[in-house]
Amino acid sequence: MTETSSNGTMVEMIKVSKIYPPDTRALSDVSLSIATGEMFFLIGMSGAGKTTLLKLLCNMEAPTNGLIEISGHNIHRVKGKNLARLRQRIGVAYQDFKLLTDRTVAENIAISMEVSYKKPQHIRKRVRDLLDQLALAGKHDTITEDLSRGEQQRVALARAVANSPTLILVDEPTGNLDSTTTERVMRLLTKCNKSGATVVIATHDHSIYTNTKHRIMELQHGKLNLVREGVSS
Amino acid sequence: MNFWFAVFRQVGRNLKQTWPSQFMTLLTVSLSVLIFAFFFLIYNNMLRVGDKLGDDLLLIVYLEEEPGPEMQAQLKKKILAFDDVEEIRFISRAEAYRTFSEQLGEDRDVLQDMPQDFLPASIEVVPLKNLRSLSQLKLFSDYLGKLPAAEKVQYGQDWIERFYYFTRLISIIVLLSGGLLILTSVFMVSYTIRLTILGRQAELELLKLVGATNYYIRTPFLIEGILQGLIGSIFGIVSLYALFHWIRIKFSGPGILAFFEFSFFQVTTITTIIALSIVLCAVGSYTSMQKFLRI
Repeated sequence: MTETSSNGTMVEMIKVSKIYPPDTRALSDVSLSIATGEMFFLIGMSGAGKTTLLKLLCNMEAPTNGLIEISGHNIHRVKGKNLARLRQRIGVAYQDFKLLTDRTVAENIAISMEVSYKKPQHIRKRVRDLLDQLALAGKHDTITEDLSRGEQQRVALARAVANSPTLILVDEPTGNLDSTTTERVMRLLTKCNKSGATVVIATHDHSIYTNTKHRIMELQHGKLNLVREGVSS
Repeated sequence: MNFWFAVFRQVGRNLKQTWPSQFMTLLTVSLSVLIFAFFFLIYNNMLRVGDKLGDDLLLIVYLEEEPGPEMQAQLKKKILAFDDVEEIRFISRAEAYRTFSEQLGEDRDVLQDMPQDFLPASIEVVPLKNLRSLSQLKLFSDYLGKLPAAEKVQYGQDWIERFYYFTRLISIIVLLSGGLLILTSVFMVSYTIRLTILGRQAELELLKLVGATNYYIRTPFLIEGILQGLIGSIFGIVSLYALFHWIRIKFSGPGILAFFEFSFFQVTTITTIIALSIVLCAVGSYTSMQKFLRI
């Protein structure tokens, strides 16, 4: 369903607005198109609307106005089994992590693969592989409540990419990380992108996008402005 | 990994996480089934005893005079005018004396000085098997009491009335305990599932976000309800059987229990109770999901 749209566009937003009651306007007439396989940076100050935009893309919230399509499908019209399938193809690393704090690191990462009925041996292998890549190999059986914020952030990221989704949405992926770990995280996201996933990174950490050749857009007071065009490889 | 593997693993996790409340619910369901099945068992056996007593039911109409053949035919005609009966027997004074003498056995000497016609003549009426209700029996008895030359009608009124009212009381208790079973099964399971859902709101929210289907999220809760019903009812029935067995051993030998042959439920009744319990618990689980599981 979310493999690619016929014209190679993964995300299409047309004049999307989001108003929270009573009258807080988070997004105003945002139009955006993200190509399949693109890595896209969404920057902006805290409260600019980055998280809201990601929530709309993964159907956590509905827009007040406008149209949002993922691979040519209006995500807010998809229901039931089809919505579940669509969500299985979208990996999201939330700003508040949304980890199950009474479960182990491995269990938290595995959850996204379990819902799509991956084989247990595949899940075990994938979990270990991701933990190695994110320097968390020793934390396999640690309860996530006992991890530092930075470690929890990486577990959330690992869970987002574990099921090899075609669209990865990452909210402030480096907020609690040192430079070495930030580099590891970016390496993992780049790897996912190179293997075909569309990656959307919402961040205000300029160190991760300063030298990027990918497209950057900035959200200011709910409006989207182009900062830099991406260089096609 | 397939759907059912994932679902049963989820059930295992749920049970592990919420075992104290699950255990309490299980006990409540077991106890409800035990109480209901206990009274139902008594009721069942009472009905069987009632049937047995009904087989031996006899109305005796004592007559002032011994009827001649013509009178006998008239009386028979009048009795049959009320309803069909199984059998009508005329007992003469001499026959009554003979029977009484046989019943006395070795003590029959006490009758030596008595005249052979001191006992009244009577009519023994065996009603049809379908004449079971006390009111019908009373009506029939009143009718027989008004027959010409009838002096008194006897059918063990006091005993039968007591038995009838006791059976009625037991049937009310069965209904009440059945209601208790329904209430506890539905509400307790519903409450437990509700607690589980509220306690795992974050996880359910996450499951939804990572693409779990409605069935993936809901089925474990439904299975939990079904398991509560299945295990709870089996536990209740097994406890009742143990109690029944204990009573049988404890009160074997001469006594009222030896007079009546008490028996346990048939397999079909046990299966029905278990199935009913499963359905009720599943309903409890389902209603809770409908109310509190927004996915």
